[in-house]
Amino acid sequence: MKKIRFLIALWAAKLSTLALRITRHNGTNFPGVVALKICPDFLYLVNKPKKIIGVTGTNGKTTVCNLAIDMFKAAGENVLNNSLGSNINSGISTSLINGVNLFGRCRYETALIEIDERSAPLVFGALKPDLLLINNLTRDSIMRNGHPEYIARILTEEMPDSTKLLINGDDLIASGVAPSNERKYFGIEKMDTDVEKCINLINDMQICPKCSSKLKYDNIRYHHIGKAHCPSCGFKSPECDYSAGSVDLENMTVNIKDGGEGHTYRLLNDSVFNIYNVVAVVSLFRELGYSREKVEELLEKTEIVKSRFSEKKVGKYTIVRQMSKDKNALGASRAFDYVSGRPGVKELILMMNCLGDVKHWSENVCWLYDADFEFLNKDDIVNIIVTGPRAKDYYLRLMFAGVPDEKITFVEKETDAPKSLKLCDEESIYLFYGTDSIALANSVAANVEKVIEERGMAL
Amino acid sequence: MKIEVLFPEICNLYGDLFNVKYLKECLPDAQIINTSLTDEPYFAKEKPDLIYMGTTTERGQILAVEALAKYAERIRECIEEGVNFFVTGNALEIFCTSIEEEGKEVCKGLGLLDFVAKRKARKRFNSLYLGEFKASDEDIIKIVGFKSLFGYAYGDNTDKKLFETLRGDGINPDEKAEGMRINNFFATYLTGPVFVLNPPFTKWFIRKVLGAEDAALAYEDAAMDAYRARVEEFSDTNTGIYY
Repeated sequence: MKKIRFLIALWAAKLSTLALRITRHNGTNFPGVVALKICPDFLYLVNKPKKIIGVTGTNGKTTVCNLAIDMFKAAGENVLNNSLGSNINSGISTSLINGVNLFGRCRYETALIEIDERSAPLVFGALKPDLLLINNLTRDSIMRNGHPEYIARILTEEMPDSTKLLINGDDLIASGVAPSNERKYFGIEKMDTDVEKCINLINDMQICPKCSSKLKYDNIRYHHIGKAHCPSCGFKSPECDYSAGSVDLENMTVNIKDGGEGHTYRLLNDSVFNIYNVVAVVSLFRELGYSREKVEELLEKTEIVKSRFSEKKVGKYTIVRQMSKDKNALGASRAFDYVSGRPGVKELILMMNCLGDVKHWSENVCWLYDADFEFLNKDDIVNIIVTGPRAKDYYLRLMFAGVPDEKITFVEKETDAPKSLKLCDEESIYLFYGTDSIALANSVAANVEKVIEERGMAL
Repeated sequence: MKIEVLFPEICNLYGDLFNVKYLKECLPDAQIINTSLTDEPYFAKEKPDLIYMGTTTERGQILAVEALAKYAERIRECIEEGVNFFVTGNALEIFCTSIEEEGKEVCKGLGLLDFVAKRKARKRFNSLYLGEFKASDEDIIKIVGFKSLFGYAYGDNTDKKLFETLRGDGINPDEKAEGMRINNFFATYLTGPVFVLNPPFTKWFIRKVLGAEDAALAYEDAAMDAYRARVEEFSDTNTGIYY
């Protein structure tokens, strides 16, 4: 009976995939939704590749997965993945449906699955990843994720015993997940930009997880990311099996040591966040048995997806689209920190409004008060345009950050924002947008170009 | 003026600490005393002008109860003597008789509020909030905010409610009375920067509770602008209230 129900679910899902393709709809979740509706155990019953690699964590998992997929492709390995679907149970089901034939036989040897950390209860038991990479655990959506300690607890409670972990060892919250599971750590050695005291609003690891005494950070990169020890009980950050050092931003390289031997790899972006993504993906491929030289070669064939970060030169101006996940204070802080540290005069357009919330209720704006808007209070940031449904909240938050009133411009509609640009000489214009406003950000970016052209500054 | 912040190293979720930051911006001469878990609280021997405590993790609740247990009687004395408290989010539960998860007691509370906090391990209760605060018979202040919790408190707060709910939940889904007020002990389940989101209430609090009659609200125009828009949005019945 179970088998029949499973096959009906599979065929219905396959049929829905075909229907979506014919009608040119995306619906990357829909076949999985159909399958799970007919057969709630679908994810358990569907045939899966022999080797399953999972990637989870709060920030960077999509980037890590995209890099890994590019590298698998470059290596000639056809790996099942959910890059076109969602990372929750229905999206993962959709990917697995695409991986099997009509009789349910799996066509892949390996799967690389991005797993939403909050979906672990619905996914881990069925998927039982052989290797699970945890990039970091930080604050995310207040409504959905609560706080990182809560997510760590979920991951620990749901973790299959057989899963080997590859964890960011510079993240003491992630490091504490499923302590009895076999594990390896990756991290970045002390950097020149590290500090001893956290300057961010969020630091979710201020006390020792063992004895609750105050932790002493030996070096802190941002928030709770860094190396710490407990002066009371001796607890300390783990030693990293994959340890990155000699970060060279001029030549965009990093040296990663494993097994006592170092090797230099290419960096894709100069933000620390993306250095971690590279260290994570290198560690992953080394764990999978690729040689250092091969990993270096494969990494050469990757790039960061343009929907998350892109730059375009228009005349003397550079238009930068910088994704800043809506309702994610830590993601916003990282983006603000990165952009504020870039050279040159800047104008910003803040439009990270959660457009999905606008349709149904109202965005919970508490996250604005966890995010480091203070990074935007800099002399070379000459104009900050706040726009969209939560523009008044951004305005108020920027005042708390000490940004002078005359530097903040309120524009109700996002697409009108470019008209309020000052367009000083050779400046950069940064668009901060959320995950559900990519299309709108494209329109705003196009309008920025138009304004530059209309003012005769495109040449 | 001395404002004591209890355990900022753990009671700091969801922007709650901006409640204190806003008070500091409005009262530049105020002295902020940050009390860590291992410190003796300032209130143990002195009377601060305000004691603030914000949202924490579930483990944080247990640690806070452990740290405050030996001062429970002193806190009761402070409440009876009219010392000002402002408590937000699940910090309220620390003052209850006990905290339960899925029907099992996780820890005893300080036993100062006759309520039992009951939470779910895997469920978030998310909602917008619209309510009223009765400053006086003539002065009713609209309150807006957000709740993002694992559970609620159960007990009778009809005669000690802080806010009357217009849209959303009170201290639990069956209750319209929100928060608790005993003398000058103010506790609300609202999370985040309650003072920032509610400038009229903050002005009343600063002037009437903290006694700073001449204090001006920082960023008043911008705060009021955002507040008015939010009151209008939350009052609109087309705006969904539960996430």
